[in-house]
Amino acid sequence: MDQRLIKIEFSINGRRVAVDIATEMTALQVLREVLELTGTKEGCGIGECGACTIVVDGDAVNACLLPGVQLDGREVLTVEGLEKDGKLHVLQERFISDHAVQCGFCTPGILMSTHALLNKNSSPKRAEIAKAIAGNLCRCTGYQQIITSIENAVDNLARVEGVE
Amino acid sequence: MTAKLAYKRPDTLDQALDFLSEKKGAAKILAGGTDVMVDLRAKEISPDYLLDVSRLEELHGIRMEGGGLHIGAAVTLSEINSSSILAEHAPAMQKCTHNFASTQIRNVATIGGNVAHCSPCGDTIPPLVIHEAQAVVASPRGEKRIPIEEVATGPYRCFLEADEIITSFILQPRKADFADFQKIGRRKDLAISRLSMAIMLDKARDENVSFFRVCIGACTPTPHRMTAIEDLICGKKLSTKLLFEGGKLLSEKVIEITGRRSSIIYKEPAIQGLFVRMLYPLV
Repeated sequence: MDQRLIKIEFSINGRRVAVDIATEMTALQVLREVLELTGTKEGCGIGECGACTIVVDGDAVNACLLPGVQLDGREVLTVEGLEKDGKLHVLQERFISDHAVQCGFCTPGILMSTHALLNKNSSPKRAEIAKAIAGNLCRCTGYQQIITSIENAVDNLARVEGVE
Repeated sequence: MTAKLAYKRPDTLDQALDFLSEKKGAAKILAGGTDVMVDLRAKEISPDYLLDVSRLEELHGIRMEGGGLHIGAAVTLSEINSSSILAEHAPAMQKCTHNFASTQIRNVATIGGNVAHCSPCGDTIPPLVIHEAQAVVASPRGEKRIPIEEVATGPYRCFLEADEIITSFILQPRKADFADFQKIGRRKDLAISRLSMAIMLDKARDENVSFFRVCIGACTPTPHRMTAIEDLICGKKLSTKLLFEGGKLLSEKVIEITGRRSSIIYKEPAIQGLFVRMLYPLV
């Protein structure tokens, strides 16, 4: 593999895709410009704000720092993949109902950081939630509504699991 | 987009070394990409090739072998954070990952990248120094081991030749009575260290310190084990007075290395303060 355009194959929100990309492209550019999945946002572009957070093989990563070529063979989840059968994820519902969103630019990234946290820890404490989203900047909310929304979503999820 | 940069993902270390020899300095080694991608974007580097070593089997794994604690160069900060071997045998190494950048960066950034980038404020370096780590370096000429303090020849300057790759680090394991890493930065997470410190200590039965290691990060152009302070503390019982003396000596040693820069008005008391704060629980 020593060529200018690289073929990569990966899974995006449960769908297999194969695309030819330039080595220079970040994962963020692959998502937004090639696959036209613009839910993932670019903030700082240098890994400091977390607006571009996506989940790769279960882990939260900054799409702006991830070389697009490193998506090859991976399972990628973006904010577009949270909705199932036309129904929002409980995290999204709680963000809306509990006022965790103001301008909304940081929201996709925070949702994805949280999703990765819940994969590993289904009942995080408030401090663990704050730590998990420490790499995501929000300049509107002051974070408290965000953390509370996540706590409420965790409660909802626990109740659903309790019923089943 | 006009594509100028080419990409190579070798299957084996030998293939990677062959590629580097062939490209003679035109290839940049890529692992987690958290520094390389930023430098590419800022046009601070302009390689013709990216050599992606992140999936090389030879650069992965954390294990005890022949009395040494081996950490693969492509091991991520998150892997270090969750390693039970490191928690037991190199706790300061593990602690340095707690506030390293952010979760997103820890999930991909590697220890090899943090060391080879040679930033004076690399958080993995002070813990490696107190464990007297050696970097294992592979090249077409074979394998060699370099003391961690010699990896950086200056800020952002690495001793590595164009055809060399750091494959792992070998630490002297130690289940110390006390080990800690702390740093001072401008925010809690995603903070670039203004000052960092790794400390490891054993006490003898008479409560005197029988073993002491300290390394300071971010204050000096390249990392230094602070042996003068180690000698001062070793063999004595920890007291508030001794800690303040040790902290003062530590600031003096930093000034010896860097000269009195403008930031020293802040750093002189901060170095002493961090040293005292880290060890005060033991007094």
